[in-house]
Amino acid sequence: MSQSPAQEGSVHDITRTRSAPAVKQTERPHPLTPFVRGWIVFLAILFAVAREVVPDGNDQTGFSLSELSWVLPVAAFAVLFAGVAGFIGWYFTRFVIDEEELRVETGAIFKSSKKVPFERLQSVDIIQPLAARLFGLAELRLEAGAGDSAIKVRYLRRAKAAALREYLLTRAHGEKARVGDLGHLSASVLTDLTAADRPLVEVSPQRLIGSFLLSIEWFLSAGLGIMIVVVSSTFDMFALALPGLLPVVISTVSLISKRLVGMFNFTLAESPRGLRITRGLTNLTSQSVPIDRIQGVKISQPLLWKPVHWYRVDVDIVGYAHSDNEDNQSSATSVLLPVADESQVELAVGRVLPGFDLDGIELQRVPPRARWIRWFDFWTLRYGWNDRAITTEQGWISHERNIVPHAKTQSVRIAQGPLQRPLKLADVHIDTPKGPVHAVAQQLDARVARELALTQLDRARAARAAARSRVPIPAAGSELDADNDILAMFRIGRDQLLGSGGESEVFALDEQRVLRLYRRPHSASDRTVDQLRGLFASWERVEVGLEVPKIIEVGQRNGRFFTVDRRFSGQCMSPWLPHANLDERRKALTSFLDATERLHRLPSPVPGFARLVGDQAPRRFGSLGELAHSMLEEPVETSRAQLEQDLPTVGQVWSRLHADLAQRVVAPALVHGDVCPPNTYITLQGERWEVTGIGDFSPHTVNGDPMMDVTGAVAFLELEPYPEAASDSAWLEALAVQRGGPEVSHWIDVYRRFYGFYFSDSAGFDPALYAWCLRQLRR
Amino acid sequence: MDELFAPPAYEWKRLSPAYLSLRRLTASITAPIVFTIPAVLVGVLTGRWWISALLWGVAAAIAIIRLILAERSWRSWGYLEREDDLYLTHGVLFRRLIAVPYGRMQLVEVESGPLERAFGLATVSLKTASPETNATVPGLTPEEAARLRDRLTELGEAHLSGL
Repeated sequence: MSQSPAQEGSVHDITRTRSAPAVKQTERPHPLTPFVRGWIVFLAILFAVAREVVPDGNDQTGFSLSELSWVLPVAAFAVLFAGVAGFIGWYFTRFVIDEEELRVETGAIFKSSKKVPFERLQSVDIIQPLAARLFGLAELRLEAGAGDSAIKVRYLRRAKAAALREYLLTRAHGEKARVGDLGHLSASVLTDLTAADRPLVEVSPQRLIGSFLLSIEWFLSAGLGIMIVVVSSTFDMFALALPGLLPVVISTVSLISKRLVGMFNFTLAESPRGLRITRGLTNLTSQSVPIDRIQGVKISQPLLWKPVHWYRVDVDIVGYAHSDNEDNQSSATSVLLPVADESQVELAVGRVLPGFDLDGIELQRVPPRARWIRWFDFWTLRYGWNDRAITTEQGWISHERNIVPHAKTQSVRIAQGPLQRPLKLADVHIDTPKGPVHAVAQQLDARVARELALTQLDRARAARAAARSRVPIPAAGSELDADNDILAMFRIGRDQLLGSGGESEVFALDEQRVLRLYRRPHSASDRTVDQLRGLFASWERVEVGLEVPKIIEVGQRNGRFFTVDRRFSGQCMSPWLPHANLDERRKALTSFLDATERLHRLPSPVPGFARLVGDQAPRRFGSLGELAHSMLEEPVETSRAQLEQDLPTVGQVWSRLHADLAQRVVAPALVHGDVCPPNTYITLQGERWEVTGIGDFSPHTVNGDPMMDVTGAVAFLELEPYPEAASDSAWLEALAVQRGGPEVSHWIDVYRRFYGFYFSDSAGFDPALYAWCLRQLRR
Repeated sequence: MDELFAPPAYEWKRLSPAYLSLRRLTASITAPIVFTIPAVLVGVLTGRWWISALLWGVAAAIAIIRLILAERSWRSWGYLEREDDLYLTHGVLFRRLIAVPYGRMQLVEVESGPLERAFGLATVSLKTASPETNATVPGLTPEEAARLRDRLTELGEAHLSGL
């Protein structure tokens, strides 16, 4: 890519349209949409025509043309009308994706436009109604904010719908992406899980049917139906009972459709963005369960499930406006597991409430005098809490256990009715957002109730404060287990390892993405990742003729942080150098120096000298000297004794470095801090190898003196393990001096000493680097 | 007031005395108005005015009972702002104590209907993500309502935490 100043404007524009998201992308529904939406109408017309045309057995006359003569025009008109209406609806429908929102524009005469700003997007579900499924189409349903109805994008090709969902979810997490970036994830006609999803619990059809036949609702409706039939036929009034039977039959059919057809093939899977549910026999629904939006969990067990140890798990999800409708067939559901055994419940609850021990809570009983009010179930009432959640239990016809994490407590109420007052009993309600979970500690002794309510407020406050400071969950199991767990989640093995550094290991995911696994479960990682992510996002729109990293996704599991990053094109420079001949190397190194200089054009989020990434960041400094001092403080503290031993004059070197830095006059610019061949990517362009990307921005990245990176490019080259490394480094230094003037030589010398101190804490883990540091300090 | 519904500290802040007058007014006129329409209808259509008299009698009884209870109901209300939560209590037969953490408030509203305005009163209600919270403080003077709203909004921002 040419970088002459005159051309820069045009280059800038072209690359922007190529790499940035299209400012406005318009999609049409699939042309089959009107047909899929109106298939019932078509079916009805077809049926009517067939009834007229096809003679049935009793009809002796058969069909005659005269009968057909009026049926056909009517049918044709109906078809035409429906077709035109469908076409008009289709023609005027557009899905527009722009920088901030997704809009669904409909209507020929009365235009309507529904908008979903990306940041308000709460979940994106894919629904495939039977008719759409037959044609390979799918509907996207977007939930945005509490109270709003879902916005439907229908219908798109299944692959496009899946790609769009990934795109929208990426945008909802505040990142930028192009629709095409994520196009390789596709849903299938049967399971609708994408490649990155790992099934946690699959409900077998046998168990689903078994659980249905043992459910109370089934017994009630079936029992009622049988009773009506039996009673009416014994009194020989069957015909009279029919109107009474009809609603029973309808409710039974709808129950079957909700509980069996809708929940068929129910799979709870783990995806990189939380849990995902897919279910359905005819209508296939794929729904994401955003874990941080789960407000409470209900585990219930109807009486007849007790002998087989089955449970049902529901959750409150904030923002799912219609979540009270627990069995809704095709839209979002609050059912986490329709039926599951104990170990599966434990697994699912473990995912939803990480670190929560279901059996670890000591449950309290209510005083015996509660029997005067709750004579039918006083012995089942329980409540208890631990440091994470409060739980209440009640009922025996259907035993229910409600769990609400303290952090999700909305408000606390004490209620006392007129019957409870003389008995000195009261209820404590833990209010949660709309949904199936209702945690009420019932019939407590008044004093206990008051204490529970007031202490619950303290627990909720403490939990909220903890959630704000984002304390990572302690690692479970060994580090290696955690690693393998994450790798398994992405369906890759250790053989995909691309490289490793001091902070992280990098694995290949596919052509476009890599998985970066941060080493220690230390709390600084998420901060670092956040800062880097912000930094990279701010570079998204800036084109400096160089690939810089992009974080597509961030996750945490068992205390280990990982990110999915864009994969650099080209290959790593470090292993390439030993195989290249002198001429190739010199050309590549020239381009390396160009790239280093281009880095400084990346914008910094803060003005002035500053540290941008790490524990102390963002921290600003008044001068270059203060910044350098802050960077050197920590490593030198570690290495001081060793340095004084190896280099008695180190004190002089230290003060000389500070004196030199005090002389430096420079405008602060972005500094990578660790520009070296292992962090550099090169691509063969025509005849020459050119540097096309620089990665591995880290806590070394600061807003400082651009000369730091020039020095890094020159000096770190010496560390490369190939024979000509030293001579190449000298040549590159000469080139830098030739470009920047004689004083560059002096500043490279100064920053060599700076890096000598900066990496001097490496004696323990990288003796070669430490030896290099000593060489710099002795210069 | 028994211990269960005692304030967590200090004393409950009570509603404005004007609210008691408002409650007495509504208590004494609502039932008679509601019962008058069927009473007149029955009287005019059937001529059996003794049924109408009976209905008026019932209306008067309801009004008297509500008048007697009005003061107890008014006295049962109380609210209190503490460091982290707003406490609220009310109810004569069914008694409630509601505690809403400031960090959970999503919306604070001040409303004043025509009748309330006539008595110089306003209602402050606050909403959380839970529809069950239902924390409403009626019968405040407009100044107190505005103060409470501003204070709650301010505290809400200071304590705000995500869902």
